[in-house]
Amino acid sequence: MRLFKYFTTVLLSLSLCVTLSAQNKVVLSGTVVDNSNQPVFAASVVVKSHSVGTYTDEKGFYKLELAPGKYVVEVSLMGYESQEVELSVKSATKKNFVLQENALFLESAKVVGKSKEMTLREGAYAVNAINVQAMVNTVNNLAHAIDRTTGIRVREEGGVGSDFDLSINGMSGNSIRYFIDGMPLDAKGSNVTLANIPVNTIDRVEVYKGVIPASFGTDALGGAINIVTKKAKRNYTDFSYGYGSFSTHKLSYTGQYGIGKTGFVIRPTFSADYSKNNYLMKGVTYISEDRSEFLTGDCRRFHDKFHSLYGRLELGFENRKWADEFFVSGSYSKIDKDIQTGATQEWVYGMVVRHSQSYNVDARYKKNNLFTEGLGLSVNASHTWDHSAMVDTTYRSYDWSGRYIEGTLSELSRNGGKSIRHYKRPLTMVRTNLSYDINANHSIALNYMLNRTGNQQYDTYNELFVPTNDMVMKHFVNMSYNQSFFAGKMNNAFFVKDYVNHLEVRQTEHSSTTGSQKVEAVSTKNYLGYGVGTRYTIVDPASVKLSYEHAVRLPSSRELLGNGSTVYANFQLKPEISENFNLGFFGTWDMGAGHQLSYEANGFVRLVQNYIKATVTEKEGMMQYQNVSAVNVKGVDGEIRYDWRGKLHFMANASFNDSRDNNRYTPEGMESITYGCRVPNKPWTFANAELSYTFHNVGLPSSRLRISYDYQYIHWFYLTWEAFGSASTKPRIPTQHISNVSLLYSWADGRYNISGECTNLFDALAYDNYKLQKPGRGFFLKFRLFL
Amino acid sequence: MIKNFKSALKSFLAIVMIVLSVLACKEPVPTPEPEPEPEPQPTADCVFDLYVSVGKHGGMSQNKNGTLMRRVLSLEADQPEVQFTGKGVEITSDYTLESIVKGKYYYQVPQNNAKGFVKFHVELNGTNESIVVDKSVPFQKNTFYARKYTHTWLDGGKTLLVVGTDSKHVKAVYTKFDAETLAIKEEGVLDIEPTATHTTLSTAGLAVYRESDNKIFYFYVLKAAEGITDAASSITRIAVINPSTMAIESDKMVQNAVMESLTGTAYGELMQEEHFFDENGDLYVAGVKSADSKEYGVVRRIKKTSIDFDPSYNALVNAEGKILTIQYMGNGKAFAYMRNEELGTATTAISHAYSILDLENCKHSRVQYNGSDLGYCGGRFSQRSVVVGGKVYFGVTEKDYGQNQVFIYDIASGKVTPGVKLQNGLYFDIIRALDK
Repeated sequence: MRLFKYFTTVLLSLSLCVTLSAQNKVVLSGTVVDNSNQPVFAASVVVKSHSVGTYTDEKGFYKLELAPGKYVVEVSLMGYESQEVELSVKSATKKNFVLQENALFLESAKVVGKSKEMTLREGAYAVNAINVQAMVNTVNNLAHAIDRTTGIRVREEGGVGSDFDLSINGMSGNSIRYFIDGMPLDAKGSNVTLANIPVNTIDRVEVYKGVIPASFGTDALGGAINIVTKKAKRNYTDFSYGYGSFSTHKLSYTGQYGIGKTGFVIRPTFSADYSKNNYLMKGVTYISEDRSEFLTGDCRRFHDKFHSLYGRLELGFENRKWADEFFVSGSYSKIDKDIQTGATQEWVYGMVVRHSQSYNVDARYKKNNLFTEGLGLSVNASHTWDHSAMVDTTYRSYDWSGRYIEGTLSELSRNGGKSIRHYKRPLTMVRTNLSYDINANHSIALNYMLNRTGNQQYDTYNELFVPTNDMVMKHFVNMSYNQSFFAGKMNNAFFVKDYVNHLEVRQTEHSSTTGSQKVEAVSTKNYLGYGVGTRYTIVDPASVKLSYEHAVRLPSSRELLGNGSTVYANFQLKPEISENFNLGFFGTWDMGAGHQLSYEANGFVRLVQNYIKATVTEKEGMMQYQNVSAVNVKGVDGEIRYDWRGKLHFMANASFNDSRDNNRYTPEGMESITYGCRVPNKPWTFANAELSYTFHNVGLPSSRLRISYDYQYIHWFYLTWEAFGSASTKPRIPTQHISNVSLLYSWADGRYNISGECTNLFDALAYDNYKLQKPGRGFFLKFRLFL
Repeated sequence: MIKNFKSALKSFLAIVMIVLSVLACKEPVPTPEPEPEPEPQPTADCVFDLYVSVGKHGGMSQNKNGTLMRRVLSLEADQPEVQFTGKGVEITSDYTLESIVKGKYYYQVPQNNAKGFVKFHVELNGTNESIVVDKSVPFQKNTFYARKYTHTWLDGGKTLLVVGTDSKHVKAVYTKFDAETLAIKEEGVLDIEPTATHTTLSTAGLAVYRESDNKIFYFYVLKAAEGITDAASSITRIAVINPSTMAIESDKMVQNAVMESLTGTAYGELMQEEHFFDENGDLYVAGVKSADSKEYGVVRRIKKTSIDFDPSYNALVNAEGKILTIQYMGNGKAFAYMRNEELGTATTAISHAYSILDLENCKHSRVQYNGSDLGYCGGRFSQRSVVVGGKVYFGVTEKDYGQNQVFIYDIASGKVTPGVKLQNGLYFDIIRALDK
């Protein structure tokens, strides 16, 4: 807290000095549009021979504060001809620009503009932005795209549709919050995840590390993923179909259709995925046909089919006087999934099936300059009816041969007997954001979010099961203040967050495991978080970022209430509380002649209390989230990107994080055997590299041929605490080297695209959570039509 | 531009150095490196496996944090303190600490019963232990689940009989394994069933083979309903079985006045020992009776020529509480681990103490060291004592989880001396003696 106060005092003093010195200035403002009169976002507006400049916002608007005088202003953006004008600015001046598209920029133009990703990176927070557009034609899963980002590991439990766990800078999956256009992804229902959101609908993905902007309005500890969907200025139809190994089919359609100048827009989305996931499990144990012995060999997965449907229709108005955006939408999603294994692959299931479906209605309203200039309001409200059923109605014991014998315990519930357990989790979310730009350099925002999740359980097979209805309600109130100095060279952000967690526990099943009898049936608790971030550009290709947050992360519904299949509830889970520090250094160096080099290096420290960690209960193959009282996470990561004229692209990143138990004594006062040990079952050193080359005008005019190769390295790690048993006897996930290649051919300016991808090129053994084996070599073909 | 980049590069390197130095300036907590320790020197004709658990005691699968095992060749005081950090074998990744032990081998149903029935042994290479699986066989007809079965040895130790109940606890199933190859020799269902008033079989029961007249005693408990665990709502029955045909020769209820329930009804003797034969061939079984909603131990006897408990005999009169484990020391003396009901009954309660039972005059007394009673211990589900070579080696972790230590009771002299110490901070669960 002392550090926070000190940091805040310094930055506020600085802001006061700069504000006073800025009082004799006049404002130059205006808009930048393209030749079809559409606003141009992120165009660079630079006052030549002065260290002053800015970027246009999503409306194409820019604003600069200058001392009265004569200036040469240059406006530029990749893909457009740059413009220079001489202006005499004596008082508040408006100057609009119209940029002409430059179709040949990839070949010859000097890149002076900055992409949205680069612009975002120049904020005060530690953030990466992934341009999905570069991958949308080849990658069949968004999680795979994110997995290649520095500091991030995505760990899947198997093939298409499997659950996954994502970590950012060493913080595990549920410490990470997921958003879609700033709204929690949970609001779309439990069926919608990174693994099945249609890639075609996405513009970019923002990855916030450690410190999360208050505008997201929710709690997070390790970071956040914000998926930003396409906001195209024109109508389009985007259709794709892919087919691949393991009987995988993926169909996706998304579009945008506006009606004239009414501002009325319809955006339909539909996707369907199907896969048998019948990939080969290598070196597994199975039982001979006469059941006389165990054998070891390769067996194909036999009960892992996945089928999902997702449909969404959004309609509303944009760019009206009364609203920048007003949309209502309805969506439906459905997943049928066979369950092949428990939390470890030693537990083989042959009949367990999960069915789930959800309906969602959503409304959002956004208006900048509401009532007065600089006042912005954004409101989202969403309700989801989420219903899943886990079917576990046999007393069979399967092995990897696909054969079984009748036993006396059910596959999943074990002693709980046969069941068809239903989970209804209605979810209501309301998010409002009120912001005010005091002037060009200062803005404040107030954010409120409500998240209410019900957890109704009942059983349509086991009559003895007593229905329950738990409820978790969270309120988040956040305030933030942002400032910008030295013509945008320095950005600071301050925020305070208040969290209220209200829990109602009704369920009593497995009470000794879930702790349902040991917590108050109804409880309300309050927590406070705060933080500060700053970014300063030292010289043009070098900027530094520093951020700190006292973060609180309330346990997620999955952690508290379980997932109904492989995760037990744990009502005794405490919120994670962490002191997060980030120091980052980044820059982009335009070397001329089409060479561009970007780099970043980050150091981070997380001092976490009540760290929430997934633990497997071996005796049942079930998982449960538990608190580890104190964990320190320290680490560094770095990335280098090189691009030559948009043809040759190379990227390499490496991440190291060291998460250790920092709790010296047990609650009984005994010295803890795990004190100082690395947290198990978490990758701690990993790296990615990517190399691609794009040929232009190959065969057909306006065509592109892109060949790419990417490589992943994951250092081995222990499954259990390293203090448990001698190293030679301990189970570990071995070092992995995974290579993927892809080939993309597109023509007619990207209207038609066909791609082929080979994943796990060398058919290496790949493992993930608790040594669950992942697919071997696979092939995937995709055709995409973009009109 | 080049100049700018150079200065940027310098700044970059400087900041990386700062980051690294920030990470380094606070002395990092090193991964605990196991310290080399001297190779153990054998002092007994057997080896000892010591089990400890992390965070809480491990019996009854209570511990989800991990149970560690180390093998030592001696438990005498001259041995170095037994360390567990980064040493030994973590048992609970695959196996249960509850196991059948005979000779040098372990036999058990692992955590995941899809792995069938497993026979393994522990190899000690220098100071490094490892588990070597000798044989595993799939279940064919009857299936058993980890920790939930009882066993006895037949045919002079060549056949291992395993008995368990089904998930609904209405029938008892059995399988005979060849002790050498684990081949399934025979499997079937025992002809016993619950009654109208007591509808549920206990999870495992207790199987005991009496060699003198070639009979198997299957002690089992019937409960009024599933999930009931108190003795007052239970009845105990004894089925006498022909080991060749597995036919039930006799199936009688034990009068509540004699015994309401067995000491352990769920997990056979996979960890805690509950019966023994004396030199005369008389069978002693530990059980439970209740009074005033509290449970008290009894030790009942079946004479060599009888198949019923002698209602007039109880070796444990005026018990302070439930008896947890009992082992025969010879010459009419038994070594028992008992609870003092007044000090608490929770799994973690420090309310258990070691006593010597005189089976002839039916008196018991606390084990003393230097003229004082040894303190109370925690660990309701533990077996920290073993009788071997004229001595009883027993583990003590006194109040407030002080020093984990082995004490040695010399059976002939009755003298207690300290033995080896174990690393603190862990919950001491089991001492097992195995053939080398």
